[in-house]
Amino acid sequence: MSVWRFDKTRLMHQRIAMLGVVFVCLILILMGRVFYLQILQGDKYMQLAEKNRISIRLTPPARGNIYDRNGLKLAENIKTFQAVLIKEHAQDINQVLENFQKLIPLDSDEVERIRKEIKFKRAFMPVRIKDNLSFEEMSLIQLNAPDLMGIQIEEGMTRYYRFKEDSTHVVGYVSLLTEKDMEDDPENPLLDLPGYRIGRTGIEQSMDDILKGTPGIRKTEVNAYGRSVRVLEEKKPINGQDITLTIDSRLQSFATELLKNEGASAILANVQTGEILMLVSAPAFDPNLFTAPISVKNWNQILNNEKKPLQNKAISGTYSPGSIFKPIVALAGLESKKLYENQEVFCGGRLKSGNQFFHCWKRAGHGHLKMTEALMHSCDIFFYEIAPEIGADKIIQMAQKLGFGSLTGIELRGERTGILPSEQWKQKTFKEGWRTGDTINLSIGQGYLTVTPIQILKVITQIANGGKEISLHLIKDASKDRPISDLGLNPYHLRLIKRGLSMVVNQKKGTAYNSRFEIDGKTMAGKTASTQVRRISLKEREEGVKSQEELPWKYRDHAMFAGFTPVNNPKYAVAVVVEHGGGGAKKAAPIASKILQEALRLDKLDALQNRLERR
Amino acid sequence: MSFFKDRNCYLKNYNLTLLDKIRRFNYKYLFLVCLVVMIGISLLYSAGNGNWDPWADRQFMRFLLSLSLLFVVSFINLRFWMKYAYIIYGAGILLLIGVALFGHVGMGAQRWLNLGFIHVQPSEVMKIALVIALARYFHGAGNEEVRSIKFMIPPILMMLIPVLLILEQPDLGTAMMLVFASVGIFFVVGVQIWKFVAVMGVGALSIPILWTFLHDYQKKRVLTFLDPERDPLGAGYHIIQSKITLGSGGIFGKGFMEGTQSRLNFLPEKQTDFIFTVLGEEFGLIGSYFLILLYVLIIAYGFYIAIKSSSFFGKLLAIGLTINFSLYVFINMGMVMGLLPVVGVPLPLVSYGGTAMLTLFVGFGLIESVFINREMIIGRRGSIDDK
Repeated sequence: MSVWRFDKTRLMHQRIAMLGVVFVCLILILMGRVFYLQILQGDKYMQLAEKNRISIRLTPPARGNIYDRNGLKLAENIKTFQAVLIKEHAQDINQVLENFQKLIPLDSDEVERIRKEIKFKRAFMPVRIKDNLSFEEMSLIQLNAPDLMGIQIEEGMTRYYRFKEDSTHVVGYVSLLTEKDMEDDPENPLLDLPGYRIGRTGIEQSMDDILKGTPGIRKTEVNAYGRSVRVLEEKKPINGQDITLTIDSRLQSFATELLKNEGASAILANVQTGEILMLVSAPAFDPNLFTAPISVKNWNQILNNEKKPLQNKAISGTYSPGSIFKPIVALAGLESKKLYENQEVFCGGRLKSGNQFFHCWKRAGHGHLKMTEALMHSCDIFFYEIAPEIGADKIIQMAQKLGFGSLTGIELRGERTGILPSEQWKQKTFKEGWRTGDTINLSIGQGYLTVTPIQILKVITQIANGGKEISLHLIKDASKDRPISDLGLNPYHLRLIKRGLSMVVNQKKGTAYNSRFEIDGKTMAGKTASTQVRRISLKEREEGVKSQEELPWKYRDHAMFAGFTPVNNPKYAVAVVVEHGGGGAKKAAPIASKILQEALRLDKLDALQNRLERR
Repeated sequence: MSFFKDRNCYLKNYNLTLLDKIRRFNYKYLFLVCLVVMIGISLLYSAGNGNWDPWADRQFMRFLLSLSLLFVVSFINLRFWMKYAYIIYGAGILLLIGVALFGHVGMGAQRWLNLGFIHVQPSEVMKIALVIALARYFHGAGNEEVRSIKFMIPPILMMLIPVLLILEQPDLGTAMMLVFASVGIFFVVGVQIWKFVAVMGVGALSIPILWTFLHDYQKKRVLTFLDPERDPLGAGYHIIQSKITLGSGGIFGKGFMEGTQSRLNFLPEKQTDFIFTVLGEEFGLIGSYFLILLYVLIIAYGFYIAIKSSSFFGKLLAIGLTINFSLYVFINMGMVMGLLPVVGVPLPLVSYGGTAMLTLFVGFGLIESVFINREMIIGRRGSIDDK
């Protein structure tokens, strides 16, 4: 063996060995990397792989229905049909869209949205073309199916309010989500559901948690293109619970019709149980307008109405109670022994307190009056005289006891407290002391005092039922039907007040005499009020106060009436407020009277029907 | 040295019968190769969601064809390759020129040549032809000769001509492999180490210049490699999903045919370059290490055969082809693990694809031939008696 060969072999083997070392290093790097990826980072990549693979979709629960006290559906879910386009089934998308528009025209905005969605959605995901198809539209699509390859009709759910505007302010409405909802609650998975609606007002809003239910979960395995391969896990949705209200939809419709041209509210409750059978705020609007995105035209129409259809006046309208407050002053006097049953006060038409004149609504004056007569005539001077005697704090205490100045706790959002003034309140708000003039104003329910119609109802209810505190409620719940406590008022005093209230309606000189009725011996009692929304100047007073009809609508007095029936053993109480309605006797009392008569009539009808059924 | 004398006596009449060759054939080596192919076929079966169609069955047919070719090649006399080395190399160059002129365009590159009865990929042919030619060139070279720069000019040209032709196609992966394989041979024959260091230094400095010569898609691949999140749904998607697929396997894997990433197509082209991740996903660290172990054994066997061979031609042939095989392993694995840019190099014997398998089996045939003829001494110019 030659030398060169020997040397070369040695060098070559040396080099092969070195190369081997390099290779071993490279292999170790690879093995280290595998270890790093599979062991050290394994959990992370496992999660990423699962995220790739598993798609979690929510299945929407059915929203609970809302029933009235007779089992009629106030809010329900109905099937709707929508046309969707599935890209992968369509051969020529433009052609299909064109054909579709020949049959059912679409807004240009809609066409743009559809095109955008088609671009971004995956080929097998449905793109919504048109919602709420009518029966005619559906048959048109089905007839022309060959020209509409890729178009399918899908079933959906929407909310429907059978009674339309009749129960808007009780039931409320649901609507689709806005971007703001998503921002407010980004964690809520339900918000990702297409077509998911949440309660916006009324019971739909306040009971949303009960009505909405729990969504089901559908875990599917998807491939890289997002197509579902198989279902891994499925949890059925739990549907929302139904809610039964104390509302009688017949009364709702009746009152809505009565109030249809007014800015007004009317509430009726059972005085023994506190059940609210009717709560109407007018004008109302059709809640069905909101379940699909509301059109700009409809929205502006609602928004620009000066009678404010969106406001629930029954719970959030605040007004000076006016003469409706007088029975409370009288009751405070009786209870505090500053006023006696037969005490008489002379009304000369006006009263001077300090250097200020306070006028009775009747310029000529009422002459000598007892308390019940003062209520009947709604004499102002009587209360001007007795109020300072009783003292503002006693009057305020009585008002508070009966329910003014605090929320009634009705199951609706947006209820307001109003203002029940007091010495401390005035000091805090105006940095001024309480004056006798304030007490005099308070005595006829004017001044700082403001209350809501539902508070008025609560007060009249508790007077009617003999001083038992009840909780006004909208949702049927037997546990709430019992009085909470006894207010501890002298029953005889209450009877005196009720006698006065009865005289308002049933005595010839009573302010609401024209609204009296008698059905099977049942009559009404109550109190009218007309509260000024502007000050009457001295000059005006001297020229003679203009009649309400002469004034522009928004300067007219608010008309109010609070009453109950039957006078003996009362069952129903009602509160009616007609904004700028003019006089309480003229405007509000007739409405209240009709509502109470209707409630009595329906009672009779139901009793008759029950008897027939039992047979 | 009587040992050598005896051998020499025998080798003077070095004429092995077919039976001798069958007896001297290294079956352990072939077994390792076939084992890897079988793993590959089962992975393709899994990647096809438990179907022989469309990959596993075809891969199996190619395996049978490749196996027969391996036997044919290994039984051809080693001197034949020595004698025709430059002619084979020349033919390879002609094919590359042919592909440049009349080639078939596929996947954005011109790599295929239609010879009427068969589609050939001349760059694959070149992987073997270049090793044969270089082995032939350095077979008779003494240590001093190798140290002279003048002597190194022809082999460098022999490397550069096909590399440039292949870069033109363009096929960066194959060109890189040819360069690395040639450099490996230069290293083994004893070119001074400082020269490699110098060239590497110059190369590093010229990267900015080379950058301008790269095609846009190649630049994008490199950029994406450096930062996959740059384009997570486009070019970076492969790297990200590849790591997820591999990493999610954990220690034991998700089980055969249970790999969610591959089954649900999160990794496109999983049957070719990214097949290793399917193994990693379904068999975990255990499976990955097992395959790496098999590769290490195959490479080690190549080294062993090179050392065993008496002829320099045989040594260089075995070591060159083994380097070539190792490059496949390193580049592909580095690529799917996110250590190297995605350059389109398959995992040898496992990835779906016929040409690579054929080339590899011809290579293994030649290595077997070196082993069968391990005692053959070939003279400086190819004669028997010349020492």
